[in-house]
Amino acid sequence: MNKKIGVYVCECGPNIPERIDIDKVIEELSSMGEVKTVKRYSLLCSNDGKKFLKEDIEKEELTHVVVAACSPKEHENTFMKVCEEAGMNPYLFQMVNIREQCAWMIPDKEEATSKAIKYIKAGVHRVLFHDPLKQKELEINVDVLVIGGGISGIEASLSLAGPNRKIHLVEKTDSLGGMAGKLSQILPHQGSKIKLVKEKIEQVENNENIHVYTSSDVKEVRGFLGNFEAVVKSNQENKEGIEEEIKVGAVVLATGFEMFDLKENPVYGYGEIENVVSALEFEEMIHSEKIELKNGKKPKSVALVHCAGRKEKGYCSKVCCLYTLKFAHYLKDNLPDVDVKELYMDLCLPHKQDQSYFDQAKEKGVEFIRMDEVEKIKKSGDKIEVEYRNNDKADKVSVDMVVIAPAMVPSQDTSHLAELLNLPLDKSGFFKELHEMLDPVATPMEGVYITGCALGPRNIPESMTQSHATSGKILSSLIPGRKVKPEVKVSEIKEDLCTGCQTCLSVCFYGAISYDPFKGVSVVNEAICRGCGSCVGSCPSGAIRSKHFTYYQLYQEVMEALR
Amino acid sequence: MNDKFTPNIIGFLCNWCSYTGADLAGTSRMKIPPSLKTIRVMCSGRIDPLFVLESFIKGADGVMMMGCHPGDCHYQKGNYNARRRYVMLNSIFDTLGLEKKRIGLWWVSASEATRFAKVTNEYTKEIEKLGPNPTSKEIFL
Ligand SMILES: Cc1cc2nc3c(=O)[nH]c(=O)nc-3n(C[C@H](O)[C@H](O)[C@H](O)COP(=O)(O)OP(=O)(O)OC[C@H]3O[C@@H](n4cnc5c(N)ncnc54)[C@H](O)[C@@H]3O)c2cc1C
Ligand code: SF4
Ligand code: SF4
Ligand code: SF4
Ligand code: FES
Repeated sequence: MNKKIGVYVCECGPNIPERIDIDKVIEELSSMGEVKTVKRYSLLCSNDGKKFLKEDIEKEELTHVVVAACSPKEHENTFMKVCEEAGMNPYLFQMVNIREQCAWMIPDKEEATSKAIKYIKAGVHRVLFHDPLKQKELEINVDVLVIGGGISGIEASLSLAGPNRKIHLVEKTDSLGGMAGKLSQILPHQGSKIKLVKEKIEQVENNENIHVYTSSDVKEVRGFLGNFEAVVKSNQENKEGIEEEIKVGAVVLATGFEMFDLKENPVYGYGEIENVVSALEFEEMIHSEKIELKNGKKPKSVALVHCAGRKEKGYCSKVCCLYTLKFAHYLKDNLPDVDVKELYMDLCLPHKQDQSYFDQAKEKGVEFIRMDEVEKIKKSGDKIEVEYRNNDKADKVSVDMVVIAPAMVPSQDTSHLAELLNLPLDKSGFFKELHEMLDPVATPMEGVYITGCALGPRNIPESMTQSHATSGKILSSLIPGRKVKPEVKVSEIKEDLCTGCQTCLSVCFYGAISYDPFKGVSVVNEAICRGCGSCVGSCPSGAIRSKHFTYYQLYQEVMEALR
Repeated sequence: MNDKFTPNIIGFLCNWCSYTGADLAGTSRMKIPPSLKTIRVMCSGRIDPLFVLESFIKGADGVMMMGCHPGDCHYQKGNYNARRRYVMLNSIFDTLGLEKKRIGLWWVSASEATRFAKVTNEYTKEIEKLGPNPTSKEIFL
């Protein structure tokens, strides 16, 4: 095909001619080989200007167009559209910035003109190397991957699932429910009669639009809003190692929390001393209705120790004061003669019903003891002594059983998932939302959201509310029928040059490159590549080509600048 | 025109921060040395070290690499690639006995027009002091 280039120099009213001698530009450009026409126009982005450009492209039967005007950031898209309307491929166009980066930054007219000429010549050389690229359109995927089957993940799934929207709910353990599923009962004012978790799990199981993967984890996630690919790996006995690839439009992280490891601090004597138990073990005792010492007897006195790990971790876990109050009530209601002591650092009673719950415990005779720190929990004869310090004064209580409330810490896989998805963590190691107030539950990765205790300690209602927030964000962006336009200026790997060294895989932050073991080469997944071009410079064989910013295209700009 | 040495400087600017910052310098009518020719790339991570070397060998008196500040890259971490490559280029320049001062990496955000003006002017002065790139006459490819 014969190349016919049209160069259009825009005046932008007085803006450009004030500093650039356009006649001289036209004179210099006209002598260039493939340039068929060079024209000036007063305001090219006006409706008249666009009409003129379109008609002139058609009249001159141009194959390539260069517009020398304002910054490409201003009107590149405008003129690409005009080219398209004139029947050209819009990528056979180059915009040259002679306003912001010439006329407006160089006071000397002669200097500005000669720089403008260089820039436009570079544009002409460059456009000759352009390829006609095609914009693809992908139907948006409205399905959602929810990672973590605790109450947060369950609630997100239930509020998102529908006839048009499939949910893939991946849970690491063999059952749904998370921590909430292990609790004997929730707080009375939260409605301890309702079998919240049990009912929710049933709803999930009966929902044909939710596909649950238990004993599974997510191995890979790549892509962006409307267009993610993920690999779910099963660890179930009969399906072990089986991987399933799924496509979704958004990802919700609901991986929750774990309990601070009490063995990390020997003062608690946990694991060493009989009848020193964690809050979770006590929940199990309540559940089995068996509050017993190791010797089978009922305890006559119990100490509930708050805030284990709070100093070490540097934050309050918000829910422990309330569930230890729940334990105190339970003990008083079920073992009438039991002596209950709560050892706390600060009492955290944030909700409106909490104060009376606390007052009622006091009325039942629960003793509240303020402390700065537990110094040592040790065995003394038949009893356990909890030595603590309060305002520099050492003191102790002597009891039959000690229940310790450990801090809530990030779940084990948090950092791994953060790496997989390129997400930031806060200084405590929990996931971090984009902005607690301006953009809650969102992350810097568009289409990836976080809910529940994966963000830090919170109770069940707060976790569920946040799940509704993520659903709101997802429902308003993943609308069935909507299209996403994947990046056009992606990278591609030339099979015949690639040696399969896989260097580029580690450079791409989007995981857009994968290795094809059969062919022994790497391939770019165009649906995922963002076109940053980072991989290009990493390839020792020069096998990667960044479309629209290819070596040859940029080389023309370099050479013209140095001419 | 006078006989004063006017250097040839190439600036590779990332689209999202530095190129926008340069545009703003123009919009704010800041004076930028005409010796600087900017080339827009989508991300500083696209600045192939090959381009820097090639520009240099083909006679550029200086090469400026510019990208978003760490943490601000539109593609999240492309500028960290740029930084690694800049460090690598430094050692290549050392090995080949080239003048390291002639290449540089700067973070310039979309709003830092003043910074863009400052670094380009200072850098140009420095290159003017260094004089023409001697390598262009010595290396033949
Ligand atoms: C002893 C105790 C008592 C409590 N009592 C109350 C109460 O009475 N009322 C109240 O409101 N709150 C209470 N809470 C707080 C409540 O447990 C939490 O608010 C709630 O469990 C948070 O739910 P979640 O789904 O965010 O996290 P979790 O319950 O931690 O659930 C996370 C789920 O994700 C799974 N998971 C983790 N990593 C992965 C992975 N990589 N892939 C797949 N799945 C993964 C986990 O296995 C788990 O099932 C209590 C907490 C404790 C510790
Ligand atoms: S296209 Fe750009 S340079 Fe031309 S008139 Fe419009 S704004 Fe001004
Ligand atoms: S770095 Fe280059 S040669 Fe190596 S796998 Fe990637 S494309 Fe192939
Ligand atoms: S251009 Fe390369 S590094 Fe950037 S997203 Fe695409 S494949 Fe990944
Ligand atoms: S987009 Fe500016 S450095 Fe990556």
